[in-house]
Parts: sequence; structure tokens; C-alpha cells
Amino acid sequence: MTDLERLESLKTALGGSIVEITNPARRRIFVTVDRANLAAVMTTLRDRLGFIYIATISGVDAGEAYEILYHMADAHGNVNIRIRVPKADGHVTSITPIIPGAIFYERELQDMFGLVVDGLPDPRPLIMPDDWPAGNYPLRKDWKFERPAEIIPGGKK
Amino acid sequence: MKFNLPIGPQHPALKEPISLRMTVEGEVIRDADLRLGYNHRGLEKLAEEKNWTQNIYLVERICGICSHSHSTCYVQGVEKLMEIEPPKRGAYIRYLVSELERIHSHLLWLGVAGHEAGFDSFFMYTWRDREVVMDLLEMISGNRVHYAMNTLGGVRRDLDGTLIRKILDGLVVLKQRTEYYFKLGASEPTFVGRLAGVGYLSKEKAIALSAVGPMARASGITADVRKDDPHAVYDEVPFDVCSADSCDVLGRTVVRIKELFESYKICEFLLKNLPAGDIAVKAPKKAKPNEVVSRYEAPRGENIHYIKSNGTDKPERLKVRAPTLANYPAAIEMLKNGFIADIPLIFAAIDPCICCAERTVELVNARSGEERIVRFSELRKLAGERFEKSPVKRNVEWPF
Repeated sequence: MTDLERLESLKTALGGSIVEITNPARRRIFVTVDRANLAAVMTTLRDRLGFIYIATISGVDAGEAYEILYHMADAHGNVNIRIRVPKADGHVTSITPIIPGAIFYERELQDMFGLVVDGLPDPRPLIMPDDWPAGNYPLRKDWKFERPAEIIPGGKK
Repeated sequence: MKFNLPIGPQHPALKEPISLRMTVEGEVIRDADLRLGYNHRGLEKLAEEKNWTQNIYLVERICGICSHSHSTCYVQGVEKLMEIEPPKRGAYIRYLVSELERIHSHLLWLGVAGHEAGFDSFFMYTWRDREVVMDLLEMISGNRVHYAMNTLGGVRRDLDGTLIRKILDGLVVLKQRTEYYFKLGASEPTFVGRLAGVGYLSKEKAIALSAVGPMARASGITADVRKDDPHAVYDEVPFDVCSADSCDVLGRTVVRIKELFESYKICEFLLKNLPAGDIAVKAPKKAKPNEVVSRYEAPRGENIHYIKSNGTDKPERLKVRAPTLANYPAAIEMLKNGFIADIPLIFAAIDPCICCAERTVELVNARSGEERIVRFSELRKLAGERFEKSPVKRNVEWPF
């Protein structure tokens, strides 16, 4: 399948949900969709175009909003679904009910960006330690690491 | 009566030490739960503060076994961002090292599988033969583990005629040895019997859980990034995608042995058709604002880097997904309904790094609350004893 055929099939299947579709390199397609349509888009991709494999989910801190990319792939190349989530309302719909393999990537997204993934079957922290202070989300651009003062239990004051 | 059996969290044999908490009913594992992050180094955040060149050496240190995989995946993405292309000779040398790395990683895995199955001679043979390829890598790059071959726009070291001959000679030895392993299964029914049926992962589950690499290919999925998304030299090189449909540890062994032969073939092709010319072009300091998705078939499966540039000499965002993370959901699935005695083997089947195989497992008896600390070697001994007493599975055959 060439990229042109792939673009056509995506346009036919997703129709009005597409905000923007680009093909910057061979076998790489970026589709921007509205975040409200995410679950519908993923269901269509899985059922009509056979995208069941998710490579990973990337979050990017893009100033006023977070950009989230769902990197899907099949035997003909790679399709990336992009949504934008405003910082004031950091909620995303979970795609784990549609693609079960996405669970770790969505949990990672919660840990790293402080987004809330609605409908996630297992929302516990994945990477951060149990005593990690609340409200610290390392991959936000405004987060800076400050080494906490070392306290030795029973040590000198 | 159900028991909880925690493994980890200190688990240095994995790239990320993990904590596995298993619910067991007698000998049978009913449920497994995973806790990650004990070795999280904040590498993606750190990458945003380093420049393009410094990051090559940073991503190379993600893993000790597939170090070249990460740096190649990163470098081929950044080259697209900078709109440069490595010269043909540079690309051939880069992917030659990739394939040699795959050979050393698969030989390492075969040894681990033999060790966990209680077949230590196999482990010693494969690891002795692995030294051949390790020596070749050292001759090419000067290093055994972190080759530091990649640079933006090509590779850092060239090959000369003597070296090419030495590599070809080494490949002949490796091929002979691998043919021996190939025949070994047929004459060693206990080994085949131990691997067959362990760690079952159905094709449907493997697809649903997005498993990658030899794990997916052993469940009958013919996905290989080198074929599906041929990066750099892979559309010029003849090779086949290897798969098996037995969906168990035996299948994973078969896939890896077959892949060894394919890698020898690729290496020979690359060496015999090595074009003349430069090995690298000069790379600019900065990259225009853009984004790229770079995919690479590492020994353990698909490796994917998402890189976004913002016009400076540092990346805006570098997202790394190593294949082991993608295989964890499938590993949980494989542990379910397996035996405690099979844990080492199933664990080895997802191909964790084996920097340190001795570790402690804590067995908790829920009825009495009594805790028992067992060394990993003891657990393996228990596994050995259990299978020494059990009858040989006569109906299983070496699938070659």
C-alpha cells in the first residue's frame, strides 16, 4: 500500500473527524483529531483499517496545551494520531478498552504530565515512587529538579 | 487458598528492575501484577538539556545489551531532522554493527534459556561462542559493550580489508556452531520437553497486547520493522522474517535460532557489497523545528523514538520506547496459569538483560504469614528437581 492509498483510506474512514492530515516522510502519516473524537477514531482505525498495534504514546508540553501522539503501526507503515489537550482541563479518554496494549503508556502519561486518563482500568502510578510528592510532573517544561535536602534519621540537626 | 509471591523490586537482571507480585494457588500462578520505575533515570528530561551530539552517547546508555539499537534509532531520526543522509559506506557499517549486536544478543539469550532450563552445557557453549562475535565487535569499534560507532551523518570508524576478512572468518565459525545448536534440539528431547508448552501466549493475546519482536513472532505474527518499514539499508538486503506458531518458549527459541542464520546472511551481504567512499558527512549543529518518528528493529523487538526539534541545538522532546516495556503486558499474560517452577524460564523468555542473575525471591505463605527467603539459584534448583521427576513429554518434537 502506498502512502497516497493510505491517505485516501484514512480520509474515507475517518471523514469529518480529521482536523489536519500530513505525510511528511515516507510511511509516516500524522493525523490531528479533536480529543472528543479520540475513542471513535481509535475504534474506526481498529475495526475498519485493522490498526491494533500501538507502538507507544508520546506526550509533548507545547506551551498552552499538551500534544499527545498515539503512534500506531501496521505492515505498511506508521500512523500517528495527534490530539491537543488544553492545560486548564487535562483530561483524556482512555483507549485501553479499545487497544489493551496501551495501558502502560497511558499510566506513564499520567505520571509524567499529570493528565487524567478517564476510564483507565488501572490508574495506579506506574513509574513514580510511592513517596513522590504530589503535583510534581517531571516532563512538564516548567518543572525543574531540585535535590531535596538529605535528612539522616537520628542524625545531627 | 491463595498466596502472594513477590519477586523484586531489586531485580538487576532486568533493564528496569521491576517488582512482580504473583497470586498463586498451590503451584499455579493465578494473577500477576507489575510495578515499575525502580530504575527510572529521568533520561527523557535530561535529553532536553543536552545537545544533539551529546544525546547520542546518552541514549546509548539506556541499555547495555542493545546499546547500538538506541543510538542508531536516535541518529537515524536526527539525521532526518537535519536533512542529511549518511554515505552508503557509513550506512552499511552502521547496520553491520546492528546485525552483529543482534547475533550477540540472541546467543546470550539462548545461553540464558539453556541455563534456566537446567541445561548448563548449552549455556556454556553459547556463551563461549558469543565471545567470537564480542571480539569482532571489539575489533571494529574498540569496545565490547558501548560501541560508540554512530555519529550524526555516519559512523566513526572505517573497516579495512584485514578486518573484513577477520569478520567473515568469524562468521564461518559462528555459523558452524549455530548449525550444531540447530541439530542439538533433535537429539536432546529433555530440553525440548522442558521448553514446550511453557509461557503460552496465544496469537490473539499477542496482537491485543501489542507484543513485539521474537515474542510476537513466536506467536505467529510476522511483524518485523526491518521488513514492514525498511529503514536505511534493509530494502537492499535479502533476508526473511522468521516466525513460529507454537506460542511458547520453544517457539521463541526457534525464532531466535532462525534469526541468527538470517543475521549471518545479512552480515555477509553487507561485507561483500561494502561500497567505497566516505563513512560520514558533516552534520549541522542545529535542526529546524520539525518532528520525526524513528523505528528500528532491536534484538528484542521494535524500538521507537519520537524526536521533536525546535530550531536550537537541543531537542524539544525525545520520547523513547524500548521493546521490553511493550512486552511486559504479554509477560503478565504468560505467567498466568503457569507454574512457580516456570517463572525463571518465562522471565528469561522476554529477554531481560542478564547482568546479574543471582537474586532473592521472597515466598510468602498466606495461611501462616510465614515468609521464606529463597535465592534465585534455589528456585531454579526447585524447578530442576520438579522436572527431573516428571516424565519426558514424548509427544513434543524439535520443529526443524
